[in-house]
Amino acid sequence: MIALVRFRIAGYARSHRALQPLIGLLPLLAILYATPVPPGQEIGAAADSAGILIPVFAWAARGLLDSEPDEQRMISIVAAGRAELVSGLLAAFAYDLVLAAVSEVALLTRLAGSPTAGQVALGVALHLFSVVAGVALGALTSRPILPSPAVSTIVLIAGYIATLMVSASSVHWLSVPVMTWMRDAHHGLLESRLPWLAAESLLWPAVGLAAYAWLRRTRP
Amino acid sequence: MRVADLSFRYGRREPWVLAGVDMTLGAGDVVEIVGPNGTGKSTLLRLLAGLLRPVRGAVEDRPPVVGYAPERFPAAQPFTVAGYLRHMAAIRKVAPGDVDEWTDRLGMDHLLGQRLPDLSKGSAHKVGLAQALLCRPGLLVLDEPFAGLDAATRAELPVVIAEVSARGGTVVVSDHQGDLRGLPGIRRYEVADRSVREAAAGTGPEPERLAVLEVDVPASEAARLARRLRADGYAVRIGPAGLAPSGPGSGEREAPDLRDLGASDVGDSRVGPRSGEAS
Repeated sequence: MIALVRFRIAGYARSHRALQPLIGLLPLLAILYATPVPPGQEIGAAADSAGILIPVFAWAARGLLDSEPDEQRMISIVAAGRAELVSGLLAAFAYDLVLAAVSEVALLTRLAGSPTAGQVALGVALHLFSVVAGVALGALTSRPILPSPAVSTIVLIAGYIATLMVSASSVHWLSVPVMTWMRDAHHGLLESRLPWLAAESLLWPAVGLAAYAWLRRTRP
Repeated sequence: MRVADLSFRYGRREPWVLAGVDMTLGAGDVVEIVGPNGTGKSTLLRLLAGLLRPVRGAVEDRPPVVGYAPERFPAAQPFTVAGYLRHMAAIRKVAPGDVDEWTDRLGMDHLLGQRLPDLSKGSAHKVGLAQALLCRPGLLVLDEPFAGLDAATRAELPVVIAEVSARGGTVVVSDHQGDLRGLPGIRRYEVADRSVREAAAGTGPEPERLAVLEVDVPASEAARLARRLRADGYAVRIGPAGLAPSGPGSGEREAPDLRDLGASDVGDSRVGPRSGEAS
């Protein structure tokens, strides 16, 4: 399976598609960190970054999963069976981690104060939640599930907006709690609520990835 | 390997492509799938290869190692031929040296440094065949494997298929062009009207008549056109314009034995049919 992950990342990196998410990521980082982050706002800034970057991670994941032609995906399925599906998700996760690392570095370089190790760890955890949510959203909008590029793009954007709206409502537990990340981080509550938020943040992407795996049974 | 009461359609509101299909494929069998365009041959191959799941019924006892070459190799990938086949060898967990064996046998050593998108149709098709063969498959599924191949590879492929069969592999081939009809012991299934029926030995469609198509082209374009047609598997002879009679009734007759004059100063191309190709 590792060989297939390498093959997919190599194909994605050599194509122009690998650069596309950077078109979204770099301007967002420039806007987020146009001014230095004041002391005491480190976790809040990390939560804002993690919440805003979900569609970028989803875009990158979808681009990676869609970068190989359909016939090549079939050749890979015949060669690796269900590992083809897992390898695609792992490759998307790996590439999104690189993008998350870029955003983490940008954040750390724009902090006015010196963050504690705990604050850095919280920021990393939030970005991991964001990456997992992005991979799930990207997988569910990839070509085997939604063959039309237009529909896929609309669903990706609408899915993110719906996540924001639901997480800001009274039924916030029905989605990845993106707005709760931001609110709790800015009010100093994130650390104490992290276990619950982590479970809630990983549950829905897990459901989404399970749905993706189920749908792929009949969509090679 | 057994196909039991298999039915398939692409969606709940879609018509059935295949219905109530039963097949038994033994170790060493070479099976030719024939039938008109659009009747479900490629769908059947994908079901046999495990790419599609039957809506009803089942494919049982499929060999664990399957090689699959699609009808159109996906050449739009950012790799060289050698790089792509190295990746495929790693995914298949076979030694990189095995790649050399197949590139040699399929006459593609000179292509190894070329980028996949730059390959001609026939060359790309060879890459598809090589990746399917290098895993020593227990089930080899080839969708129109002869399309676009040069004469040497067309002659080699039946030998390769016979070898896979001899070591106990099952080979399933959809073949419009009839290149495998001389293979001893070949079984033939015909796909028509959503069903798949085994044809009795020797009852396959008769080889179709050959025809000669004469095309007058400017001499400067003759070589390019000839390359394109050869890539599609046609025999092409190039001669000076005006050699052949024209007029009603002259378009379909036995191909004359023209000397290949090259393309530098002549502009009349005679295109012979592919073996068994419809005229």
